Amino acid sequence: MKNLLALLTILTLSLAACQAQPAETDPVEDVELYVFAAASLTETFEEIGKLFEAANPGVKVIFTFDSSGTLKTQIEEGAIADVFVSAAQKQINELEAGNAANTAGLDFVLAGSRVNVVENKVTLAVPTGNPANVQSFAELASDTVSIIALGNADVPVGQYSEELLTNLGIWEQIQPKITFGSNVKEVTTWVSEGVADCGIVYKTDAFSAGLEVVDEAGSDLLKTPVVYPGAVMKTSQNPTVAQAFLDFLRSAEGQTVLTSVGFSIPD
Amino acid sequence: MDWFPLWNSLRIAAISTIVIFFTGIYAAWSIAKLPRVLKGILDVILTLPLVLPPTVVGFFLLKLLGPYSMIGSFILETANTRLVMEWYSAIFASVVVAFPLMYRTARGAFESFDPDLHSAGQTLGMPNWKIFWKIVLPTTRQGILAGTVLAFARALGEYGATSMISGYTPGRTATISTTVYQLWRTGNDAEAYMWVLTNVAISFVVLLTINSLEARQSPKRAIQEMER
Repeated sequence: MKNLLALLTILTLSLAACQAQPAETDPVEDVELYVFAAASLTETFEEIGKLFEAANPGVKVIFTFDSSGTLKTQIEEGAIADVFVSAAQKQINELEAGNAANTAGLDFVLAGSRVNVVENKVTLAVPTGNPANVQSFAELASDTVSIIALGNADVPVGQYSEELLTNLGIWEQIQPKITFGSNVKEVTTWVSEGVADCGIVYKTDAFSAGLEVVDEAGSDLLKTPVVYPGAVMKTSQNPTVAQAFLDFLRSAEGQTVLTSVGFSIPD
Repeated sequence: MDWFPLWNSLRIAAISTIVIFFTGIYAAWSIAKLPRVLKGILDVILTLPLVLPPTVVGFFLLKLLGPYSMIGSFILETANTRLVMEWYSAIFASVVVAFPLMYRTARGAFESFDPDLHSAGQTLGMPNWKIFWKIVLPTTRQGILAGTVLAFARALGEYGATSMISGYTPGRTATISTTVYQLWRTGNDAEAYMWVLTNVAISFVVLLTINSLEARQSPKRAIQEMER
């Protein structure tokens, strides 16, 4: 009995050891590409993913959509990501070596791969029928609005919201009315469920969720350009395929999908 | 430091526990007397929230009480009150997820209650409600109290459903659990640790209480009650 157990143990360990070896000599077949993307890119990226897989047989794109702040933290903590597309420059700045914003000395961005993918607009969305009859950002301070849904300080759309509302001078006084969501999709859902009187989301999220937009932040209110950068991660096991995905985003095919929901293409 | 989450969590847990105490005991006592098959089915239905992920519970509650639902829109129109996105919305969530704990513990306590004591009370001419309050409850006291404390602990620690139905507004709807999550999200580890320690301290006290209540039932007390 003891000998049998010893034999089984040795066999199991050998099998485990076999699997642990990296498949360096495999050709580009069955590549799994891990793309971390801002939540507002969910609908468009899923479509682009399918187009990319069709154009590159053997490649499977696996998406993780969440707030860019969460994704940046996950990458920092060691999550496997080949490509990261963030909803604000801030998150990639913090991962790029030599960047002024990178106070933790992180080095995740593959040199030369960083590009601006899309540009978006920050808007004020309301549920069907606009029950609180909100017409502009300035009205958020009035008594007719009781609950405002925003992204929290970790979420790019929350950061943009704070900036524009501070520039309007009403940020402090509306605090008791704000419910903070963990990513832009949570904020969008609170608005579409009618649970909040209004919410600040991207133009593209309002479009995808069929929400009415009553106001849009211009460059006078929002100084930071709402530009989404993308980059290949240094830890990527498939940097060539990752770069190909980034290039595909900027191709005519990719851009058609992106502009169809309201993104614009930055220079 | 803003102590609102502590006060908010405690009041939500306290109110939920009071609701659960009465509804749980009533359900457990009524169902204990039913035929086996019906009892089994009701057991499953009433225990379901215990095994469902809190986010599933939160989803159902939002669909049930949100402004577009029948109940939600009715209350909104007649009483001009919102059922969701308020501090008291978390009470609905806590009651639903913690109810099974009280229910199951009370059922267990009532099942092991000696029916002879009940009959003895009846021979002494006591009405049923008096038998319940004077004999059954004191005898099953340990089990009932343990169930109550468990329910309170679960209500205090509710996160998933609470986050969906109450949202997160500091100073208005924030609980300890939603606050810790948001503090971690925004990188405020120092304050998150403070809340974690506070929660651990409360949980410690709660569990020590459960421990001291886990004694066996004493039929002696019931007999003493009847002799009065």
